[in-house]
Amino acid sequence: MTRLGLYTTIIFWLAMAMLPLVVRPWDLVMFSQLLIYGIAAMSLALIWGQGGLLCFGQALFFGVGAYVMALTGKGLIPGIAASAWLGLGLATLSGALVALLAGFALFFGQALRGPYFGIVTIAAAVIVERFATNWRYIGGYNGLLDIEPLSFALIWPGLDSAEPLAGYLTALLAAFAVFLLLNALVRSPFGTVLRGLRADEQRVASLGYSVGLWKTIAFCIGGGTAALSGALFAVQFSFVSPAVIGFAMSTEILIWAAVGGKEVLLAAMAGAAVVKYFEAVLSDAIGHYYLLVIGIIFIVVVVALPRGLLGRLFELPRPQRLRADGISGHTQKHRERADAAAPMEPRQPAPGKQEDGT
Amino acid sequence: MQQFAPLALDALNYTSVLLLVSIGLIIVFGLMGVINLAHGEFFLIGAYSVLVAQGFGLPFWIVLPIAFMITVTVGLCVDACILRFIYHRPIDTILATWGLSLAIKQLMIIIFGPGAQQVSAPITEPAVIFGVTYSSYRIVIMLITGAITVATLSLLYLTRFGLAARAAMANRQMAQCLGINTRLLDRTTFGLGAGLAGVAGAVMAPLMSVDPQMGLSFLIPAFLAVLVGGAGSPLGALYGSAVIGTSNTVIASWWTPVIAQIIVFSLAIVIIRTLPAGISGFRRS
Amino acid sequence: MILEISDFHAGYIRDANVLQGVDLSVRAGERLAIMGRNGMGKTLLVKSIMGLVRPSAGAIRFDGMAITGMPTHRISNLGVAYVPQGREIFADFTVLENLRLGIIGKPALRSESFDQVFEWFPILAERKSQRAGTMSGGQMQQLAIARALVGRPKLLLLDEPSEGIQPSIVHEIAVTLNRISADEALTVVVIEQNVEMVERLSERVLFLENGRIAEQANVHDLSEDPSVIERYLGV
Repeated sequence: MTRLGLYTTIIFWLAMAMLPLVVRPWDLVMFSQLLIYGIAAMSLALIWGQGGLLCFGQALFFGVGAYVMALTGKGLIPGIAASAWLGLGLATLSGALVALLAGFALFFGQALRGPYFGIVTIAAAVIVERFATNWRYIGGYNGLLDIEPLSFALIWPGLDSAEPLAGYLTALLAAFAVFLLLNALVRSPFGTVLRGLRADEQRVASLGYSVGLWKTIAFCIGGGTAALSGALFAVQFSFVSPAVIGFAMSTEILIWAAVGGKEVLLAAMAGAAVVKYFEAVLSDAIGHYYLLVIGIIFIVVVVALPRGLLGRLFELPRPQRLRADGISGHTQKHRERADAAAPMEPRQPAPGKQEDGT
Repeated sequence: MQQFAPLALDALNYTSVLLLVSIGLIIVFGLMGVINLAHGEFFLIGAYSVLVAQGFGLPFWIVLPIAFMITVTVGLCVDACILRFIYHRPIDTILATWGLSLAIKQLMIIIFGPGAQQVSAPITEPAVIFGVTYSSYRIVIMLITGAITVATLSLLYLTRFGLAARAAMANRQMAQCLGINTRLLDRTTFGLGAGLAGVAGAVMAPLMSVDPQMGLSFLIPAFLAVLVGGAGSPLGALYGSAVIGTSNTVIASWWTPVIAQIIVFSLAIVIIRTLPAGISGFRRS
Repeated sequence: MILEISDFHAGYIRDANVLQGVDLSVRAGERLAIMGRNGMGKTLLVKSIMGLVRPSAGAIRFDGMAITGMPTHRISNLGVAYVPQGREIFADFTVLENLRLGIIGKPALRSESFDQVFEWFPILAERKSQRAGTMSGGQMQQLAIARALVGRPKLLLLDEPSEGIQPSIVHEIAVTLNRISADEALTVVVIEQNVEMVERLSERVLFLENGRIAEQANVHDLSEDPSVIERYLGV
C-alpha cells in the first residue's frame, strides 16, 4: 500500500504553515481566501464525495453563514449583541440548522432519487438568491458592507483579522481544524456508512440503517462547515451580496470539488486553490476566454478523470480498522470496492470486528 | 370572462413554449438517463441564431428551420464529443453538461458580448381574439408550438421510430436484444430534443431580451415541469408545463415575476416531494 | 456448428469469474438444454452470447462469425433471439406492439405479418390489442417467445421459460417449441431447472458446474438414469 498520500498531506499543511515566511502580506490575503474557499470545497466533498449527494446548492449554506456573520457583526439581529466572534458561532450553527431542516424535508419518507435531488437543489439555490436580492433587511441587491473583523485584542491590543498575517492564520487554523474533524469523521465507521449510501442506498437501508437520518446528519455537518467558510469569507472581504448565496457560487464550489477530487477531502480543498489560482492567472492572460477554458477543463475532468486531478495525490492510506495484514495492494482495491458496496458494520460496532468480518 | 382572457392566453403561451423545452429534456432523460443541464443553452443558441439571421436580413420564417438545424447539429456534436463516453454514468452527465453550459454561455459572451440585445417580431399588429385585443405574434407562437408538439407526440406514439424509442425508454437492454440500435436512437433523440429547444429559443427571442443568461431562466422551470409532470412518460412534460406555466403566469400577474418565481419553484419542490413519480405517474397508479 | 464457445471466462464483477473455461458447441437445428444449480453462471452464459456481458477471456462464434465484443443489437440482427428470465415483455405496450418490436430493429425483415406466430400461439391473436402487462404469466411467456420468433432467428436462447408458470402451460409451451424447432430448423438453447421441460424440448443436456461444462448426456439416457440429474441439481 502506498503512503504517498500521507506524505503529501503533511507536506501540504507544513507548506501552508510556512507560507507567511516567504510570501508578501498582500499575497497572504489571497491565500487566506483560497483556504476559505477550500473549507467550502471540503464541505461538499463530505456530502457529495463521501455521501453521494450531488448538491447544486452548497452556496445556500455558505451564504447563510456569510449573511448571519454580517448581520451579527453589525448588530442587526434584534436581541443579539454585535460581536464578530458570536457571529462566527451563530453562522456555523445556522448553516447546520438550515441543512437539518432541508434534510428533514428532502431525505425522509419517499426519498428523492439522485438526479432529482440535484435538480431540486438547483431550484432551491435560485429561490434563495432571488429572495436575498429582494429582501431589504439584508441589504437586497447591494448586500451588506463594512463587516466587523474578528478581534484579537486579547492577544495584542488593537489586533484583528483585517491584518493580513492574523487573517491568514485564522483561515489556516480554521481550515486545518475542519480538515482534522472531517477527516476523522470520514475515517470513522460513520464514513463507511456514508460511502455505503453512495454505493447502494437500499442495501444500507436493508442492513437496518435509517438512510434519511444518516443523510441528514451528513448534510448537517456539511452545511455547518460550508456556513463556517461563508462566515470567514464575510469577515475576510468585509462584504456580502446575494452572489455568495446563489447558483453561481454553488457551481463554483462544485467545480472546485470535482476538479480537485471529490472523494478526498484535501484534494477538494486543494482543488479550490488550484482552480481559483488558475482563474486569476488565466483571466490576466486571456481575459474573457478563461471561463470557457475552465468549463472545458471541467468537462474533461468529469469525462476522463472521475477522481479529479489531485485525488490520487492526496489519498490517505485506509484506516487501520479496514485493513487486514498481508493483503496486497491488488486485493486491497477489491476490499474498498466491496466495502463501498456493502458496509457490514453492525449497529454498535465492536472494535476491530467491523467490515472485515465478512 | 373578458378580463381573464389575456391572462389565460398568456398562461397558454408560456406553457406552450415551456413544453417545447421540456419535451426534449424528458425524452433524453427517459431514453439515455441523461440530465441535460446544457439544454438551456440550446434554447440560447436558437435565440442567437435569430439575432444573427436578422442581421443578415433573412425573414423570420426562414430562420425557424435554420435555428432548428443549427441546434440539432450542436446536439449531435455534444453527443459525439461528450455524452457517448458517459451516458452510462447519469450523475456525471449532469456535471459534464453543466460544464458544457458554462462553456457555451461564455462562448456567446465572447462572440456577442454580455449585454442584452433586441430582436424584432415578424408581425406587430395586434389581433382580436375572444373579444380582447392580443398580440398576434403570441398567437402565432402558440400555433407553432402547438403544431410542433403534436408532431413530436405523433412521432413518439404513432411511428416505428417512436415505438422503438419508447421501448428503449422502458427497457433499454431488452430493446437491444431485439436488435434495436439504442445508441442510434440516443443520438437521434438528443439531436431532436436540442432542435426543439432551439426552436423554442428562436420563437421566444422577439419577446425576451436576448442575453447569455436567458437559457437558465427556461432550464429550471422546464426541469421542474418534467419532475412535476413525471419523468416516466413524454406526456408528463405536458402536465408539468401546464402546471408550472399557468401558475407562474397567474401569480406574476397578481404580484411580481420575482415573487411568482419564488412561489412556483417552492411549490414545485413540494409537489416533487409528495409525488415522486409526478402527475403522470400518480394518474397511472 | 452454429454456435461455438471456447475457453470462455466471464463474471459480473471484474476479476471474479463465474464462468471459468466453458467449451461448448451446438449443431444447427439442435435442441440443447443447459442445467445446473443456481449461481453456476447459466444466465451469465446466455447473456454473454447476447453481448450483454463482456467476457474476460475466450471466444464465441455464431454461424462462423466471431461475435465476442459485438454490440447486442448486431448480434440480434445476425439471428440470435433471446427470451430472458422473467420474460421482460413491455408491460405498458399492447401485445401487438410487443410483437412489432420483435421486427422493428431488423431492417432485413420486410413483412409485418404475424399470422405464423398467431397460429403457433392462438391466445396472442385473441389478445392482440390488450396491454401485455395484464396477461397471465403463461401468456406473457408465450408473447416473449413469439416476440423472439417474429425476428426470424436462427438460434433461440431461452432462460428458464418454465419459471412461475403452471405445469399444463409448461407442457404446452414445450410441445409448441419442439414443433417450431422441427418445422423451421430452429436451433434452441434452453436453460432450465424443470426436468419435464427439458425432456419434452431438448435432445442433449449439458450440466454446468463450477464454471465449466461438467458433463453432457442424451435426454433419453437421462430418463433412464436420473442419478445424473440428482448429482448436478440435487441440493
